[in-house]
Amino acid sequence: MATRRITIDPITRLEGHGKIEIFLDEEGDVANTYFQIPELRGFERFCIGRPVEEMPLLTNRICGVCPEAHHMAAAKAGDAVYHVDPPSAAKKLRELLYMGFYFTDHTTHFYALGGPDFVMGPDAPVAERNILGVIHKVGLEIGGKVIEARRSGHRVVEMLGARKVHPATSVPGGVLKGLTESERVEIERIARWAIEFAQFSLGLFNDMVLGNQQYVDLILGDIYTHRTYYMGLVDAQNRVNFYDGKVSIVDPDGKRVGKYAPHEYRDWIAEHVEPWTYLKFPYLKKVGWKGFVDGNESGVYMATPLSRLNAADGMATPLAQEHYEQFYATLGGKPVHQRLATHWARLIELLYSAERMLELATDPEIISDNIRTVPTATPTEGVGTVEAPRGTLTHHYWTDERGILTKVNLIVGTTNNYAPISMSIKKAAQSLIKKGTVVNAGLLNMVEMAFRAYDPCFGCATHSLPGQMPLQVTIRDVDGEVMDVLRQYC
Amino acid sequence: MSYASIVDCRGLMHQASTQYGTLLVGLGNPILGDDGVGWRVVEAVEAQLNGAEIDVAYLSLGGLSLMEQLIGYERVIIVDSIQTEGGAVGDVYQFDLNALPEPSTGHSTAAHDTSLQTALAIGRKLNADLPSDIQIVAIETQPHFDFSDALTPVVALAIPRATAMVMSLLTKYNGDGTT
Repeated sequence: MATRRITIDPITRLEGHGKIEIFLDEEGDVANTYFQIPELRGFERFCIGRPVEEMPLLTNRICGVCPEAHHMAAAKAGDAVYHVDPPSAAKKLRELLYMGFYFTDHTTHFYALGGPDFVMGPDAPVAERNILGVIHKVGLEIGGKVIEARRSGHRVVEMLGARKVHPATSVPGGVLKGLTESERVEIERIARWAIEFAQFSLGLFNDMVLGNQQYVDLILGDIYTHRTYYMGLVDAQNRVNFYDGKVSIVDPDGKRVGKYAPHEYRDWIAEHVEPWTYLKFPYLKKVGWKGFVDGNESGVYMATPLSRLNAADGMATPLAQEHYEQFYATLGGKPVHQRLATHWARLIELLYSAERMLELATDPEIISDNIRTVPTATPTEGVGTVEAPRGTLTHHYWTDERGILTKVNLIVGTTNNYAPISMSIKKAAQSLIKKGTVVNAGLLNMVEMAFRAYDPCFGCATHSLPGQMPLQVTIRDVDGEVMDVLRQYC
Repeated sequence: MSYASIVDCRGLMHQASTQYGTLLVGLGNPILGDDGVGWRVVEAVEAQLNGAEIDVAYLSLGGLSLMEQLIGYERVIIVDSIQTEGGAVGDVYQFDLNALPEPSTGHSTAAHDTSLQTALAIGRKLNADLPSDIQIVAIETQPHFDFSDALTPVVALAIPRATAMVMSLLTKYNGDGTT
């Protein structure tokens, strides 16, 4: 059957970009969709021959979006390679830095990317559907709070990581820099403010989104719903943890099918290859690849804030736990399959990161000077796993007896979600673009919302997507002739 | 609905006046081949400064992160890679940020963030002390998909021209290249 093609192509001056192609049949219905990502090449080759202790510095340059996550995964993999367990204070210092990063990252996503769809409305003109629009609608002060939140998070990272954004202090066996009492006091003050800000953000979500029946219907509707497996790091009590623990997997009914330690990841995760994209599709090995389909028989899984909440039994801090309970009570129990609920889950995690920051900043051990165990064993091989904001991140290194890298494998946050993102785009397109539909910018934004919930960043797998998602939409007839071109941000 | 009183906003946005002179920014990823050319140019400029007192930063992020770094400066020069329609690899350009539509240079639009222009608009709306003069020096490159800490030869050859453009701007600002 002849098809016509709609291309959603972020036109960017960045190093790589994603492209969505929507193929229509002669009836004007969606025949298929493809989400294509150009893959960056050669990172493994670039690393081989370098000392493993360089990796926390090197990997945080893979991508500008979550360098702290790569720094932490690399640090933990370095610990494992050298068979060394860092002192308790060192682990807490790393986790405290990580909470500062999470607080900044989740704030940015909600206010700059995901939030504008709800605060301004999915049909709002693109020129207004951004953080400036949010400021205009909610009030100038909101902008100040967002900037203050980012500044605070960066400050925590800087104090602990010795640099803003690209931390430099984690080494095999611990960290190189401790915390002074005056720094601790400053972080405690930041954390108390951060808890207020996170609660304010949840209040804003409650008023602007949950208070609007149209949005609630959109969230709960079928367009943005998929029944898949979920993944997330949990502590010994099966509560959400960003820095350490085991990876919990639950099935589409919410039943835990297992937990694996980071070094066991290859027993659980395999990768499927499609001819139309460079990027591979990770799936659950024990379930198997059955295609881009929902259900218990399909090994497709998701790793996002929503996944982490679904894969855990609760949150480890009291206020976040209250919101966790409200979340499931409101949305009909566990697991929640509605992808747009990820925005709410992200704000619950924002609150958790702030509360955990305060817990760690007021822990007497946090100013200990016992912050490194010097490795003495011969380095071999090791795996480090953390939760990056946009999914479970695993680094696996092999070295020779000198600690020189001989092999590297990374499974990055968003890559986990490549299959579910592709499925969400297709379902949204099929639901929204039907016979006779006039494809306009607002409708395409509704399709784009399907993947924005995942906070996709292929920065690690490719390098970058543009934050404002510049789009060019080309509609072609069955002969390939251009019928119309729609543009935004380009 | 007003949220004005719920959370006190302080700090960054309330600096009263410009505190610093010129900031020179090398923008890009230093381990992604030609993407790191902005860093290399700024390194070359630094070697010619002879102790002149300008601030220099090596950054990888655009958007809000970049805007936050510019607060307090009177003027900023950003050196970055760029891909333009019809441009030849190794071409060097110099222009005012205001002359560009969004998105413009390689990193002024940021992943997981907003464009530099939008970020500056936010900052100005919040009364941040942001530079009125932001000049871009950009080197035409191909998109970068291979990790490497080396530049391609054609792009490396452009470094002296880009360096001269930056030095010329600095000289224009203050005769001898200082602030």
